[in-house]
Amino acid sequence: METAFELAPAIVLLPLAAFVVALLVGEYMPKKGALAGIAATAGSLLLSLYVVAAVATGGEHQETYFTWAAGDAFSETGESAIEFTFGILLDPLSALMLVIVSLIAFLVHVFSLGYMNDEGETGLRRYYAELGLFTFSMLAFVVADNLLMAFMFFELVGLCSYLLIGFWFRTESAPSAAKKAFLVTRFGDYFFLLGVVAIGATFGTLAFQGDNSFVAAASDAIEGGEPLFGFEPRTWVTITGLLVLGGVIGKSAQFPLHTWLPDAMEGPTTVSALIHAATMVAAGVYLIARMFGYYALSPTALAIIALVGGFTALFAATMGVVKDDIKQVLAYSTISQYGYMMLGLGVGGYVAGVFHLMNHAFFKALLFLGAGAVIVLMHHEQNMWKMGGLKDKAPVTYYTFLAGALALAGIVPFSGFWSKDEILFDAILVGLNEPIFLVAYAMGLLAVFFTGFYTFRMVFLTFHGEPRSEAARDPHPVGWNIKFPLLTLGVLALVAGVANLAPVYKLTGLEITYLEFWLDGQYGGYADLTYTAYGDTVPFGTEYIAGSETITLLIAAGLGLGLAVAGAIFAMVLYNVPEPEPHTENLGSARTVLRSNYYQDEYQVWIAENLSLPLARTADRFDQSVIDGVVNGVSSVSLFGSSRMKRLQTGVVTNYAALMIVGFIALLLVLGVLGGWFV
Amino acid sequence: MSVGIEHYVILSLALFCIGLFGVLTRRNALMFLMSVELMLNAANINLIAFAFYHGNLTGQVFALFTMALAAAEVAVGLGIILVLYRNFRDVDVTVPSAMRW
Repeated sequence: METAFELAPAIVLLPLAAFVVALLVGEYMPKKGALAGIAATAGSLLLSLYVVAAVATGGEHQETYFTWAAGDAFSETGESAIEFTFGILLDPLSALMLVIVSLIAFLVHVFSLGYMNDEGETGLRRYYAELGLFTFSMLAFVVADNLLMAFMFFELVGLCSYLLIGFWFRTESAPSAAKKAFLVTRFGDYFFLLGVVAIGATFGTLAFQGDNSFVAAASDAIEGGEPLFGFEPRTWVTITGLLVLGGVIGKSAQFPLHTWLPDAMEGPTTVSALIHAATMVAAGVYLIARMFGYYALSPTALAIIALVGGFTALFAATMGVVKDDIKQVLAYSTISQYGYMMLGLGVGGYVAGVFHLMNHAFFKALLFLGAGAVIVLMHHEQNMWKMGGLKDKAPVTYYTFLAGALALAGIVPFSGFWSKDEILFDAILVGLNEPIFLVAYAMGLLAVFFTGFYTFRMVFLTFHGEPRSEAARDPHPVGWNIKFPLLTLGVLALVAGVANLAPVYKLTGLEITYLEFWLDGQYGGYADLTYTAYGDTVPFGTEYIAGSETITLLIAAGLGLGLAVAGAIFAMVLYNVPEPEPHTENLGSARTVLRSNYYQDEYQVWIAENLSLPLARTADRFDQSVIDGVVNGVSSVSLFGSSRMKRLQTGVVTNYAALMIVGFIALLLVLGVLGGWFV
Repeated sequence: MSVGIEHYVILSLALFCIGLFGVLTRRNALMFLMSVELMLNAANINLIAFAFYHGNLTGQVFALFTMALAAAEVAVGLGIILVLYRNFRDVDVTVPSAMRW
């Protein structure tokens, strides 16, 4: 067990080694660095499983490897020293996430052999190097044991996604999408940084776990009731929590900072799979789960998380309905699904949120890799209206994609159903007690219908009906390196729900909610990072419809499943025909609004041009005139003064003698006056 | 009537002022140098007079040092005056005024 924890740093460092190898000698390797990446991520995956086994047998681990700054600091709660360290924290949550990230990264590497190498892409050395660095940053973020380290790797994840989205940097759109992703997430990260500084300055510690963690310190401060920076402790916790949430909203593409994500489709599809399933976007929600104890202290912050999540879920799902590009549909589904996770976490459903994070990682990676396979089949065509009829020609792709679609739509018994149902169940329980959450629940519930609809619209347009283009009639074959990841993830999308069959437990009493036990530290883990500990802190009450848990459960599950099936059937009626019509055109002006993404880009550009730019101009003018004026004034005064003063140096020795004498007499007089000679 | 300390001080003061007057008014470098010597000797008189007055020899020893220093100073000063003459064909101290702002 100890060996597993001692080896844990290797999980993080192996992809870093792959990055270095691919960067230095990738050009001379047979697959341009892919093999190094595959070996490293496979190693990470095995070691992660080992760590999971160690945690499952009652272990947990926290170790500081490197203190890079330590010193005295003044903090609001009286803590007088602060340390900035690199360390790892291995508990059920991070162990689970390690497996998810390394598994997806491994499969993406394998898939890249088929998607990038076999398609004759150039720049593969750069591609695999960046992929390795990306995996490294995410893994390091996952195991981080303090907020500052998490922030640093959060930023590195952002940098890597910038590099990979802009992989085809010779096109016009990719660099602009990369820049957009970088800037929009950076806008959120700015608040995150403020939050880190605020938490550090308040509590004098940034550790996630233990008695000297900022969570414990915040809890003590709330009990003590001493004001922090002039605020009620709970208000201050809310403020700092919301600052950190800014980074989460940027990275996890929540409203209003979601606009970068659809554009990020400009990167290779494999990169999209990695970004959406396991790394970049998952980082935001993972951060909330990581410091859930902190958010649990603040009902306001939780309510905001839930409302933002519920709104984003619905908002993004409606936009997904009218997209024609297969990757665009998936992009909006990602935004929407992360909205669900936020909703789940916001209502205190820690297990539900993490469960959906896990399931989503599997089925979204599957769907993106499936879309990648479709793009290969279609000779790099992404418009769904030019596809059709791929069902019989590519059965492996079709059935795995279908499994992913059923999971995404949330249809029983696929994994997505179980986690989405749990989120909505948690939301309705809290919502019945506190009506504000009912709004978030209603938006999440409505989004289920749209999810079912757009998912199956995509499936039917892509795979069913008659082929609508030359490429669809004669698809390009795909190799094992594409089929293997698809099959692995297809099986996972089907069975991953078994991890936490909460409704079955509640109906029959069978104790099979393994993920809940896992996250509750029943196999191993820190007592302060368990579901029970969070549950005790979260201040929401719950209520049941008609006072019965069973009835509520059945109603919630029935509503969710019914709407998902209704959406799917609606899509089937409209699009499962040999020659489907573009029915969304009947939506008229609503379609225009949806196609323009609710004018989100436009209003953000408007804000940038009409508010930020004039503000920046004013600031610039202030800088140029007032600040520079003062500086220049000082220098011209001294220039002018010295140009007069230097006239003293006449070069005539007699004048110098006279000056010396005058100076001496003046000195004598001054000394005399001060010494009181003339009194 | 014995010679009191105040007489020496007045003598020294007069000598110093004559030297000062010379420094401020004379343009000839030689005269300038001589004026400086006068001021120096005014100080010497003071040193010796007060040494005598206090009855110890420290001031006289200082005066000896000052004379040796003055000899060295005259050597350097005359050297400067020679160079001055060689460059300007003149020993007027107001002529060389190039070393200014």
